[in-house]
Amino acid sequence: MSKNSIENIIALSSDLRWKIGDDFHDGLAEGIYADASEIANGSISIDNETPRFRLDSKIDKIVTSKTWGFPIMFLILGVILWLTIIGANYPSSMLANLLLDNIHPVLKSFATNIGMPWWLDGFLIDGVYLAVAWVIAVMLPPMAIFFPMFTLLEDFGYLPRVAFNLDYMFKKSGAHGKQALTMSMGFGCNAAGVVATRIIDSPRERLIAIITNNFSLCNGRWPTQILIATIFIGAVVPASFSAFASLSAVIGVAILGLFFMFFTSWALTKTVLKGEVSTFNLELPPYRPPRFWKTVYTSLIDRTIIVLWRAILFAAPAGAVIWLISNIYIGNESVATWTINSLDGFGFLLGMNGVILLAYIVAIPANEIVIPTILMLTVMASGIVGGAGAGVMFELDSVTATGDILRAGGWTLLTAINLMLFSLLHNPCSTTIYTIYKETKSAKWTTVASILPVIMGFVITFLVTQIWRLF
Amino acid sequence: MVNKVNSACDMCTHFNAKGLKKLGVNTNNYDFVVALAGNPNTGKSTVFNALTGLRQHTGNWPGKTVVRAEGAFEYNSKKFKLIDLPGTYSLLSTSQDEEVARNFILFGKPDVTVIVVDASRLERNLNLVLQILEITDKAVLCLNLMDEAKRNNIKIDIRTLARDLGIPVVPTSARYSQGISDLIHTINEVANGEIICKPHQIKNVPKNIETAVRTLSTEIKKQFPTIPNSRWIAFRLLEGDTHIVDALKTGELV
Amino acid sequence: MNTYNPIYALLLFFVISFLGYLLFRPRKGWFWLIKNNLKSNEKIVIEDVLKHLYHSENSGKEDNVNALTRALKFKDSIIVDVIKKMAINELIQFDGDILKLTNSGRDYALRIVRVHRLWEKYLAEKTGYDKKEWHEMAESKEHELSNEETNLLATQLGNPIYDPHGDPIPTNTGKMADVHGEFLSSLGVNTVGKIVHIEDEPDVIYKQILAENIHIGSQIRVVENNNQRVVFYAEGEEFKLAPIVAANITVAVLEKDEVVEENIVRLSNLKDGEIAHILGISKESRGDNRRRLLDLGFVRGTEICIDLMSPMKDPIAYLVKGTSIALRRDQASKILIKKD
Repeated sequence: MSKNSIENIIALSSDLRWKIGDDFHDGLAEGIYADASEIANGSISIDNETPRFRLDSKIDKIVTSKTWGFPIMFLILGVILWLTIIGANYPSSMLANLLLDNIHPVLKSFATNIGMPWWLDGFLIDGVYLAVAWVIAVMLPPMAIFFPMFTLLEDFGYLPRVAFNLDYMFKKSGAHGKQALTMSMGFGCNAAGVVATRIIDSPRERLIAIITNNFSLCNGRWPTQILIATIFIGAVVPASFSAFASLSAVIGVAILGLFFMFFTSWALTKTVLKGEVSTFNLELPPYRPPRFWKTVYTSLIDRTIIVLWRAILFAAPAGAVIWLISNIYIGNESVATWTINSLDGFGFLLGMNGVILLAYIVAIPANEIVIPTILMLTVMASGIVGGAGAGVMFELDSVTATGDILRAGGWTLLTAINLMLFSLLHNPCSTTIYTIYKETKSAKWTTVASILPVIMGFVITFLVTQIWRLF
Repeated sequence: MVNKVNSACDMCTHFNAKGLKKLGVNTNNYDFVVALAGNPNTGKSTVFNALTGLRQHTGNWPGKTVVRAEGAFEYNSKKFKLIDLPGTYSLLSTSQDEEVARNFILFGKPDVTVIVVDASRLERNLNLVLQILEITDKAVLCLNLMDEAKRNNIKIDIRTLARDLGIPVVPTSARYSQGISDLIHTINEVANGEIICKPHQIKNVPKNIETAVRTLSTEIKKQFPTIPNSRWIAFRLLEGDTHIVDALKTGELV
Repeated sequence: MNTYNPIYALLLFFVISFLGYLLFRPRKGWFWLIKNNLKSNEKIVIEDVLKHLYHSENSGKEDNVNALTRALKFKDSIIVDVIKKMAINELIQFDGDILKLTNSGRDYALRIVRVHRLWEKYLAEKTGYDKKEWHEMAESKEHELSNEETNLLATQLGNPIYDPHGDPIPTNTGKMADVHGEFLSSLGVNTVGKIVHIEDEPDVIYKQILAENIHIGSQIRVVENNNQRVVFYAEGEEFKLAPIVAANITVAVLEKDEVVEENIVRLSNLKDGEIAHILGISKESRGDNRRRLLDLGFVRGTEICIDLMSPMKDPIAYLVKGTSIALRRDQASKILIKKD
């Protein structure tokens, strides 16, 4: 087709469009709806006027009411989180028992029997296998509990009402009410939370939700928070209050996360995201009874297994790296010791130490392995008796014993507080970073989402430390 | 994997249940491409799952379809590849979802487009249906959630609706696998050309717009006699859709 | 290792962050100021002079060199230099000491105006920037776009006739729609009209108008007009303005038989239990927001009522064409209805 005729058509359309004026889109939309209404009226008959199913509006009146709306919401979310954290303990310890305490030694002795060289056995079994096993043991049970429950609520149709109730608060910081849900999802897993932002159809609000999802403590971080709070915060109050104090500290950190989420959302809308298009609409669909087993099945397949699989893919090389840095020597020091020593100064400024920083660097693939890595590195760096050898992550069944190792490694209450803060405010795990890239298809926003929380973590721990040391 | 469909339609003479195979994600060597379009929250993914035997997650959430899902089924030894488009309210705007849906129906030229609508919110859903019918003339209306419509005492005259829209209409309740066999049968007939659709064209467009569209679409037809949907192209050109301009230049639309 | 003083560390930290703030704070940061200064060159001065003369001539004012140097923010010497060059290039001519645009000068000025208004339209339709920022952003963009880029932009926007303030946008051949109307401050009591233009300069007054939530395209009825204030009703709400503010709003007066609809109310005024019909969406709702509302069925003639209130009364869910759709208050204030 000749280029000229196309140019003609385009010129003609420009001219016609100018003549129609600025109401083109409105006129078209109204016209289509007028047709729709004619056709619908021609074929629909309603027996008696009951526009909405009555039970629906009764439920709606309660769950969005001034008195009951918020309590019901917090109760439901609280129960889900509680069931997830408490309920996951048992299967988690069973899995840990199986994979770490039983299968690991079997594999080790098998390797010895077939005469595998020590470095290959260490690399594969102590590095790769341990990291993967750890991730499965810590990650699988909570996700297998959290996602089905959350998905049931979603299928029932309750979640849009939550977004409806909370939108006012989110609007203040330039975000969308649906961000409440992607955040809650983030309590399960940040990568899943980032995927869930697809329900937000406004570009700006979706980016905000993606970038701030990391401020929801994911289930890889809850155990770290609980462990450290129990050891250090529980110890400063009388024994009868220690459980309460450590629990409050953990909840406090989670709430602090919410605060940072709102603050960052607000700051983003005022600066880098100012020009992005922002729209709002929220359809409240009718309630539909979820089909229980189908939902449980699909949520396990779609969310749990996929997220777990990605985590394993990233954890395996991390395990290898952890083993390698502890076993490759430059001169007299292993790479790990050398890095810890060079990071120690900076770590001290932040009220932490080189071990913690190194652990967070090598544990980028999965927050779950932060504590085992810290324990291993602490034992290695300070030369205390204990642990399972260079590059072999471990955890102790006894909280007191864990506390003793950490204290021997020079930890104080300040270290613990900073670790809890830094566990909240650091870069997302690599699974999440990868997911953010897949969702935004933008290196720029992926970088922002990855770097921003670490910088905030550095600033906050730095300030806390300096103020602490003033007194 | 062969799933038998259990419904009254298995007994009908015209539906050949033995000829149906749900192929899940195996989408190789297909004969026909079927696009699945519809508003958010109309049970589109449930229809998709019922057709393919897959179990994609279907949340009660507007806009839940997570990725552009593909699946397949085989009927009377013809393979159908099914593509689940993102749920949208319209095809006229600029959101990413709408662009994906719009471009697939326009440029992907599916052999059949199944439009899933919520029977109890027909008027709102027809907005999208009428737009799709401007683009393609091979479409089937899947009137889903008939169970909810029944609960709300809404009765729909299927014949009148089919006549007004000019395409076959199949009532279904995909959650309970009702009407799916009928839907498959109808898809097959449209794909094979046994049913010829005469889709409705939007009538109530304001006069000044209608005249402009007519002038422009006549011109387009003159230059590109093979373009089947010159009216829709005219709408999009007036809207300033640069994608369409590029497509005209590369000859993608012919 | 524990030998440093935390106070010094804190001080150093605050000094660094304060410096960072001074350098990079939005707009007024030194970094941006320096960057912008490097960009200001002769072309910008020429175009600003042309634009200023164009607007002056349109409002019947006359400018000499002194008036120009006062009105524009550049150094006097630069302006004088540029004016000399422009006279040589026949963009302007002297009539005594009065400066006038030549034909080619006017064409050039129209092109700048076209880019400016198109860019404002673009910002309004396709981005999320706030109204308050459109003018300033367009002021710098108008010097940057080439002719082809401008035409492409116009096509993408559907060749708009008016910019978001109601000013006509010149076409690439210089055609321009008319704006008929009188200043709100000059209207008599009981006059009915439609707001067709809101002037965006000076900034102080424009921000006051925005703060009042006055919408372009609204039908108004004047109820009081004296030296102290202008009071008028629009869309079910009462507005009070100082005369100097009202002078920046242009209203097209409607004859009795042109008055399309009385009792136009904003959807945000609808109470629980009331039923209404939609009359349309205000011109203030733009771009994707407007399209989305239309797609969702907020079109003329549709029945609407409140379905649910959220605990904070914002957002509110409305029942439209059988579906419950939640809108925020500022969205609802841009949908016009008539209560049944």
